[in-house]
Amino acid sequence: MANFKINQYDKSRELFARATKVIPSGVYGHLGPAEGNFIPVSAWPFFSEKAKGTYFWDVDGNRFIDYMCAYGPNIMGYNDPDVDKAAMAQAKLENCTTSPSYKMVELAELMVDTVNTADWAFFAKNGNDVTTLAIMAARNATHKKKIIFVNGFYHGVSAVVQKIDYPGILPEDVANNLYVDWNDFDALEKLVAENDGEIAAFISTPYLHGNYFDNVLPADGYWQKVRNLCTEKGIVLIVDDVRAGFRLDTAGSDHYYGFEADMICFCKAIANGWNVSCLCGKDFLRDAVAGMSYTGSYWMSAVPFAAGIANITKMRELNLPSILLDKGKKLCDGLKEAGKNNGFDLVVSGEPSLFYLRIANDDTMMLHQAWIAECVKRGVFFAGHHNHFINYALSDADIKETLEIADEAFKVVKKEHPEAF
Amino acid sequence: MTDAKTLAYINMYAVLGSLENLCELDPKASALVSDIKPISIGFEVKDGPCATITFKNGRCRMEQGVNECDVKLPFSSCEKFNGLIDGTVTPIPSKGFLHIKFLLDKFTKLTDMLSAYMRPSEEDLKDEEFFNLSTTLLFYTITVAISQIGNHDEIGKFSASHIIDGDVKMSIKGGPASTIHCKNGHLVTIKKAPENPRSIMEFGSMQLANDLFNGKVSAMAQIGEGTIGMFGMINMIDNVNRILDRVGLYLA
Repeated sequence: MANFKINQYDKSRELFARATKVIPSGVYGHLGPAEGNFIPVSAWPFFSEKAKGTYFWDVDGNRFIDYMCAYGPNIMGYNDPDVDKAAMAQAKLENCTTSPSYKMVELAELMVDTVNTADWAFFAKNGNDVTTLAIMAARNATHKKKIIFVNGFYHGVSAVVQKIDYPGILPEDVANNLYVDWNDFDALEKLVAENDGEIAAFISTPYLHGNYFDNVLPADGYWQKVRNLCTEKGIVLIVDDVRAGFRLDTAGSDHYYGFEADMICFCKAIANGWNVSCLCGKDFLRDAVAGMSYTGSYWMSAVPFAAGIANITKMRELNLPSILLDKGKKLCDGLKEAGKNNGFDLVVSGEPSLFYLRIANDDTMMLHQAWIAECVKRGVFFAGHHNHFINYALSDADIKETLEIADEAFKVVKKEHPEAF
Repeated sequence: MTDAKTLAYINMYAVLGSLENLCELDPKASALVSDIKPISIGFEVKDGPCATITFKNGRCRMEQGVNECDVKLPFSSCEKFNGLIDGTVTPIPSKGFLHIKFLLDKFTKLTDMLSAYMRPSEEDLKDEEFFNLSTTLLFYTITVAISQIGNHDEIGKFSASHIIDGDVKMSIKGGPASTIHCKNGHLVTIKKAPENPRSIMEFGSMQLANDLFNGKVSAMAQIGEGTIGMFGMINMIDNVNRILDRVGLYLA
């Protein structure tokens, strides 16, 4: 049955042993084995060596068709020649300097021209920088303290966007956070009424793409009702487009779903891996942001600005979101078909360019985890419990290879778990 | 960051409740209560837990309530009951004065033995049998404490409310296993493995489990090493782990 090579990870393991001596947990955060849900860890590489297009190679020389795309930044393909050419050219001129490069203005102008709701753009480094800024700016603008979050949310790592039971978080840090279920407008309306005059902002991703559960698109009319409620009650509507940004619509995911956010947060895909994030907003919030004490040592570095300009320009020229949606649909349809042919109920949710996978044959996810692991062992980098990402460099041949590996992985899991069929 | 009521529930069900396992697993403990007339001790805590421990035929069993006890120990508050466990409060029975000798003698010996296993010296841990029993008792205490924290501690309740219905299996490879049963955010620990777990967290060895319990190794690094296995509905384990983080606050 085994047509595909099974990866070995000896060097990854040696490096991890070194890493645990000098880095807390070895590899922390979402790229690590714990938060990354490497189940079982033996199936996954821990460290990479090089990347190109839709592939990365680990330190053991194994090549992966990468459906995580560095968890989003790789939207054009790793080391895209156009984006990297712009970055390298800028690096020869300047990067981190005392006066910011004029490239910042050019990128801000491009963001305002590209993003539907943007009257201004504020740059930082990570998604967390701009989600936190958006919340603070909403409080500054409204002089209200409460923020509404959607259950299952992730908006970064600042104390205000974490949860009461997370390590290092005090009840006081999240005392003004309110929670509502996704797509439940009646509950949102009730929550707003119960806290009338106290709510600064409602923050949400454009659709529910949390981890561990099927992703859920907005119900018909949901966002339009939310928009009207926020306008009526003076609540700042913040869209966290860090994950979905530029994979649905270059004008912003709010534009894709037919409404206008007051502020929208971007990061991952702006510059195809060059580190820059951006908060865009409407005019009435410009002064609220301008007056804040909010900056960072590398936030005005010119190289990512140059990369961002090249990347956004290329995405617009290509109308990239529609291409990514098409590629994602082709892949997802093939995966579902391969699953069906092998007796697996593979549920695909979310938008095709950010597809989320779940095998629904059992209620434990153990079959799902086994299948994901078998795919990874054969060179298709899927994540067990996170949405995936499509990039422009993914070819039809890559999709074909992925489907062949997925098929083999289904067969292996079926053979090893006859009790489930 | 902790509260007396939650600690009282932990002290009752996780700490005193481990007497069941002590008598089952340690022949010396069992021998202490094997040649006695059956006796039951009720612990009645105002605004807190109420349970009865019965010693019979060398075994020990804890049940809810104090209606059928031979000796009743009332406590006016959770703080007073917690004082019993940390040795700062001497209880006065409201019923069963004739059995006071059992309390002062055999019951005290049993709780002293339990303390020795719960807070072992490095020297004691060199004995393999002691090491295994100590680790096992700590495991049961911790897994029972998870449910008490999930049901009573304000932050623990937040975590528990995010656990979907079903059974989490917690186990040590080659050692004990417990079930954390979750229904509508309410947790119950059963000191045996579930038949159909929706998620599994397994420590790779008794040594690893003991090292984790005593803070000698990093759980996150061990997950990377593969010596802590996690399978199934990881969001259940994720939230159980958040409660597990709080166990140390209460049992430190």
